[in-house]
Amino acid sequence: MAAPLEGVHVLDLSWVMVGPASGRYLADMGADVIKVESSKRIDPVRTLGPFKDGKTGPERSLSYHNLNAGKRCIAIDIRRPEGREIVLRLTQWADVVLESFTPGVLETLHLAYSDLKLRNDRIIMASTSLLGQTGPYAKGTSGVGTMGAAMSGATYQIGWTDREPTGPWGPWTDAVTPRFIVASILAALHRRSHTGMGCYIDVAQAEAGIQFMMPAYYEYAANGTIPERRGIAGSPLQAPQGVYPCSGEDRWIAIDASDPGHWEAFRASIGGELRDAKFDTIIGRLRHRAELEETIAGWTHEQEVEAIERRLQAAGVPAHVVSRGGDLVRDADLLEAGHLHKINDPVFGEADIEGPRFSLARTRLHPTRRGPRIGEHTKEVLAAVLGMPETEIAQLGESGVLA
Amino acid sequence: MLDDVRVLEISAPATMLAGRMLADLGADVIVVEPPAGSPGRRLAPFLGDIPGIERSLTWQALNCNKRGVTLDLSSPDGKGLMRDLATRFDVVIEAVGGGKESLLDSIEFSPRMIRCTVTPFVRIGPKSEYAATDFTVMAASGAPAMTGDLDRPPLFFPVPQGMMEAGADAAIATLAALIARDRDGLGQRADVSARIAAMMSAFGQAIVPGSGNPEAKRTQGAMVIAGVQVPSVYECADGFALITIGFGPVFGQMTQRLAKWAAEEGRMDQRIAEISWSSFISDLTARKASPPDLQALVDGLKSLARSKSKAEIAEASRRLGLLASPVMNMKDVADYVQYRERGLFTRVSLEAGREIDAPARFAQFSNYSIEVKRPAPKLSEHTAEILEAELGLSKAEIQALFVAGEI
Repeated sequence: MAAPLEGVHVLDLSWVMVGPASGRYLADMGADVIKVESSKRIDPVRTLGPFKDGKTGPERSLSYHNLNAGKRCIAIDIRRPEGREIVLRLTQWADVVLESFTPGVLETLHLAYSDLKLRNDRIIMASTSLLGQTGPYAKGTSGVGTMGAAMSGATYQIGWTDREPTGPWGPWTDAVTPRFIVASILAALHRRSHTGMGCYIDVAQAEAGIQFMMPAYYEYAANGTIPERRGIAGSPLQAPQGVYPCSGEDRWIAIDASDPGHWEAFRASIGGELRDAKFDTIIGRLRHRAELEETIAGWTHEQEVEAIERRLQAAGVPAHVVSRGGDLVRDADLLEAGHLHKINDPVFGEADIEGPRFSLARTRLHPTRRGPRIGEHTKEVLAAVLGMPETEIAQLGESGVLA
Repeated sequence: MLDDVRVLEISAPATMLAGRMLADLGADVIVVEPPAGSPGRRLAPFLGDIPGIERSLTWQALNCNKRGVTLDLSSPDGKGLMRDLATRFDVVIEAVGGGKESLLDSIEFSPRMIRCTVTPFVRIGPKSEYAATDFTVMAASGAPAMTGDLDRPPLFFPVPQGMMEAGADAAIATLAALIARDRDGLGQRADVSARIAAMMSAFGQAIVPGSGNPEAKRTQGAMVIAGVQVPSVYECADGFALITIGFGPVFGQMTQRLAKWAAEEGRMDQRIAEISWSSFISDLTARKASPPDLQALVDGLKSLARSKSKAEIAEASRRLGLLASPVMNMKDVADYVQYRERGLFTRVSLEAGREIDAPARFAQFSNYSIEVKRPAPKLSEHTAEILEAELGLSKAEIQALFVAGEI
């Protein structure tokens, strides 16, 4: 069966992470996604690692491939009138347009929603930026996902109590925001299939981050308590729940035996001091938490982390290696599911990239492919999608529009 | 936008955000709970720090816009009612714990039904029997190993994130299946592994080793460049601020403007502000620049940050175009004029006479608006209404089910 978005056309004007990751979801679902780039203004994600074999180069970034897998790419200078006209003509072809410019930039290029809608009144256009398109600080504000995390309340709550907050790993809202963009676009496509009506969608990355922190926001709004960083991995209401050191450098096992059933299975499996009567009850385990954690760490610290995971899982106790990249790449679950895909790129050869994050039983998602090189499909798209004669393409090439 | 879509959500922590997103986008979502209440009602924090089935703020936050029924899906009556209800709905979403059987497995759904199942690991795979909680699923995602400081253990979010990551991807998977059904009228099964969903926040850690690179290490608190600790978060006059120092043609110019500001404020030597920060890394290699200069930059920024408030740093970041922002706590989020004036918030009722502003509008549309039309359902609030209206049960039959403990 055809993938669910087979035949849906997406014009992806976005760059770096949030927009491209949203486009990647749509490409996985079978949409024909055309990424617009320019060799004069390459996607900055091409300058971010990891690079194949650690050697830098605009066509060697694996982050780029992970975010742009399965798209086509045309290189055009959209600041030139001819380049702008190509964007407008592709808008006529497109069902969905994605963009992540600093708010206000598309207006100056006369490529805002109001301009695009004149060419295609059914278009669904999604814009994403740090703080959105409206409000007093919207226009001209650009930012990155670490700033989104800081402004969503997440960074403040992650860290040690005796140090400055450390915040979540990486540009966190870049991982969160695409979900809200993609869900909004799919809902809009569903509505359009019944009504013919398109729409404009505006997703602020900092606001998307707040959604994943909603319980903490409610704690402040309802109770007046500002949630602070805890400096422990687990919940203060659940013990034992935490990470414990294992043999080797920076190896940790996550164990959550806080549920009474899991606790009994855990202490039966480990025995020793965990049998002490003071750990019999939830209240006992919370009151003697430091001692409990120390006892568990004393048991784990000389053992190999995967051996602990196997032993505790065999006893029915929730436990898992605190996985690092090296663990993920040989994780049985991910291998069996084929989550990591080998791509073969003409520039750098073989590398791993990730597959989609969900599966459909009947209308299967598209097999994972590599990302396109800068301008790889320029001629193909201009000729086949826009029906442009070869002479016109050559002319545009000579005048520097297709660069 | 989804006003023709009807969803049954078999409530579990990992279904809650999925149901909320679909409900916010207009779907008619009914949460199905066991008579004792969904596990989601036992998630902290609690209203007034007093626990109770109607007091979980996590429940309140993630279940508004839904109606709620109770059904004992393990009993013949519960299964029968579920089977009948399902014929009137388009989507059923469930989350099944590791190694446990789904309560829906014995129900044969119509070919039009979309069934989305969230499992901790891949539903049929080597870890499908794994005992798992949100905590261990997150550990398996790759994100916590990178979170925190290298000299201390990994850190986790204080808000469970596995249920958020999985819930958001379950909404997407459901909508993808819905689009497919719009074309050919047929439903299908959609599967979400919470662990793979959560790997989104590990930013490709999984692809690092396969591309011939050493594993990355946990360094979030402070990057080390040429032996100099370069923090990302700085203490400021009334809290903390995120200030990113970058190099190279684009980010280096931001550092240049930042250093210039620090010098103007008398917090940094003019000489440091005049160093070419765009070319600093290559200058280091060519020995045209030295690590102590970077240390001086960091020291100057620490001094600058301490003299400024979060609001002043935010203002300078906008004015000068810096990679800097206040590290907002939830009070700052609630008070932020940008979120307020943009319309992020909408009033939500928590209990009789008690309302808060909830940041509910995750997206803004030209011709649709996310509104909170009803607060999260109280336990079994709509059971009688739905059994009567959807299934035509009589008042006596509904009472009989209650007396027997089925609802």
